[in-house]
Amino acid sequence: MAYLSMGEAHRRITEYLNRFSDAVLTQDGSSLKQLLSISSNSPLLLSLADALNLFHDSNRLLKQSDRFSQISEIVSPLFRSIQNFRLGNLLDSYNAFEKAANAFIQEFRNWESAWALEALYVIAYEIRVLAERADRELASVGKTPEKLKGAGSFLMKVFGVLAGKGPKRVGALYVTCQLFKIYFKLGTVHLCRSVIRSIETARIFDFEEFPIRDKVTYMYYTGRLEVFNENFPAADQKLSYALMHCNPHREANIRMILKYLIPVKLSIGILPKNWLLEKYNLIEYSNIVQALKRGDLRLLRHALQEHEDRFLRSGVYLVLEKLELQVYQRLVKKIYFIQKQKDPSKAHQLKLEVIVKALKWLEMDMDVDEVECIMSILIYKNLMKGYFAHKSKVVVLSKQDPFPKLNGKPVNS
Amino acid sequence: MDRRQRRNPSASSSAFSSPASSSSRFRSEKFSSNPPKTSNSLEDAHQLKSKCGKPQRPKQEEEGEQDPNNLLSLVGTCPFMCPAGERAQRERLRDLAVFERLHGNPGKTSPSLAVKKFCRTIATKHMQASDVRPLPVLEETLNYLLNLLDATEHPFEVVHDFVFDRTRSIRQDLSMQNIINDQTIHMFEEMVKFHIISHHKLHSCSSKPSFSSVHYLNMEQLKKCLISLYALYKENRNSNSIYKNEPEFYSFHVLLHLGSNNQPLGESLSLWLGRVPSLILKSKEMCFARRLLRLFRMGNYKRFLCTTATEASYLQYYIIEPYINEVRALALSCVNYCGYKLHPYPIAHLSKLLMMKELDVESFCNACGLETSTDERGNKFLSTKQTNFHYPKEVFPSYCLLGLEHF
Repeated sequence: MAYLSMGEAHRRITEYLNRFSDAVLTQDGSSLKQLLSISSNSPLLLSLADALNLFHDSNRLLKQSDRFSQISEIVSPLFRSIQNFRLGNLLDSYNAFEKAANAFIQEFRNWESAWALEALYVIAYEIRVLAERADRELASVGKTPEKLKGAGSFLMKVFGVLAGKGPKRVGALYVTCQLFKIYFKLGTVHLCRSVIRSIETARIFDFEEFPIRDKVTYMYYTGRLEVFNENFPAADQKLSYALMHCNPHREANIRMILKYLIPVKLSIGILPKNWLLEKYNLIEYSNIVQALKRGDLRLLRHALQEHEDRFLRSGVYLVLEKLELQVYQRLVKKIYFIQKQKDPSKAHQLKLEVIVKALKWLEMDMDVDEVECIMSILIYKNLMKGYFAHKSKVVVLSKQDPFPKLNGKPVNS
Repeated sequence: MDRRQRRNPSASSSAFSSPASSSSRFRSEKFSSNPPKTSNSLEDAHQLKSKCGKPQRPKQEEEGEQDPNNLLSLVGTCPFMCPAGERAQRERLRDLAVFERLHGNPGKTSPSLAVKKFCRTIATKHMQASDVRPLPVLEETLNYLLNLLDATEHPFEVVHDFVFDRTRSIRQDLSMQNIINDQTIHMFEEMVKFHIISHHKLHSCSSKPSFSSVHYLNMEQLKKCLISLYALYKENRNSNSIYKNEPEFYSFHVLLHLGSNNQPLGESLSLWLGRVPSLILKSKEMCFARRLLRLFRMGNYKRFLCTTATEASYLQYYIIEPYINEVRALALSCVNYCGYKLHPYPIAHLSKLLMMKELDVESFCNACGLETSTDERGNKFLSTKQTNFHYPKEVFPSYCLLGLEHF
């Protein structure tokens, strides 16, 4: 650190206080937000932090002038947070920041217009990021990480301040998204429900009026929830919305959306092109797509096994497992096509024994009874049209459209 | 006996926690395989540090969380299955279960008969140490209760009602003292077993409508016990080993997701599976449960039934049992819907597929609204393409899978 004189430190602190107080007086949200983003390591805040760590009695400066009295409740803990952040005491930094944030909310509540929304966004973001770091510090010394949970409670409070009528409501979705990030990280996604209800049932505010960035994030997270619930049409609608509206240059975000959208699309019978999987580095899905194209049950099993951990952790395993019936459908369809080439007049009668053989060739051991069972399930779920004759051990396919397409609808359950 | 009793290591740091569920309270007592003495001194160090580092601050926004200071001090001293005060009071009120009456006298009991009742509203603050039983007494009490299950002179519902309530009180005492160790895990496993076996026994006599609520309450406690047990496993887990019974007890959670209700436990299975340690996921018991779930969801009734018959443990079987008729009904529905109209389906074959006696197949078909017929040679058939199929309306007797009568 370059040498810093006491006078310079004093000047920096006073300057910061003046900027803060001016921003509040002139209701200048974008200036204010820069003064709050402490994890950004901006030169402004770094130099302030050094000044604060040298000049211990910053509270005296706060008390010196009347113009600072309005902001001192916020700034005094904020200073401590900035100081501790610079020193790497992340737990202390978080605790102080939470105090500052609470004081900020008190003031924010009283401001009639929404001028400080930008600044509030920064607070909502910072409190989450700081809490994550504080938790890492807690865990490293063998203590319970609990700050992120605390940040969640704080953001719920903020949500309450915004969610009512009036101009501030436009900010509610940003806070919602920060809450989603916390709940997903903590594995407490059931807590999303009440927030979602509040967003989706509000008659006083049209969803489309929220900022586009927040709408995309919101649709991404709620889409994931629908994936976990295996509600594919809703998941498709939400994730597709996120994909269509997200910034096309943010490849990492597109990849995150596709990671969930692809299994959903597969479930409703829509297969991605290979280049898409390659471009976004989602090749873990390519064998599954292959299996669906070829009717290769063995390949499906292998692909699920090979990436089992990854699919389980991201929560798409059960969705992918469900594709099995579609793979069976494809296999039967292939056998049907081969028969048709040999003898079109008999193509629509498939011997169960032939299917048993095909499965044996795929190293799947099944007897005629189980194949009959699977054929009846395919018919029952409308993946195949026809009937089976138990006595003659054949399945007779309908001459019209024997393998109905899913056409964007999930398999009947 | 290695008895490690863990209490809240750092009262002051807990006071800062946000509304905490029991699981996060558990987490603060991270159990290590270190000898107790070392870990205690470590905790003391933390405690000291947090005391110096932060001023005491009043508790805030904490609802339902017990006062950590109280937790620190609560170590039960009651030497009996039931505290003397409660015993005397219940004698006076003649509030004694049949198992507690001395020589059948409804106003007289003894220390070897009375067992502490579950108390719904309990304020830990006013809890006397003498009203709370320490671990060895709780273990003894549980053994006593579980032995009652073999008692044949009372109907099962009566025994169940008693054990159901008194084991709940055991769990209450355990959680008040925050005891987390191998003994507790064993006790919870035993209590889960009790609820699963009861699930089975109550199911087989659930034709009487008054049992459906008992059945429901039993299931509710089963789920709660399982959740607590998983939290205990998690607390006591060291990185590379798992408890002997852990895979089987984890498999119960998956098996409870059979059936059409996607989230019987309030959380999607996908999310839950994502958190289960690999070692458990890949265990034989979990692979079985996951395979069975896949077969159920796919509708592969043939393989579902024979896999159940050959691979389920008796506890797993008891959980699967209620779904077996659901799968059989699906099979009938499929055969009826997809079978060739001119070839009625032989009941003998259905009996093989559904693993039930021919006579039972017939009555099951009828319960599903399907008619059966007999040909001139006396063979029975199910005609297909009938339009009246429905899932059995009343609770249907659960025909055991043929070959599995020993369960």
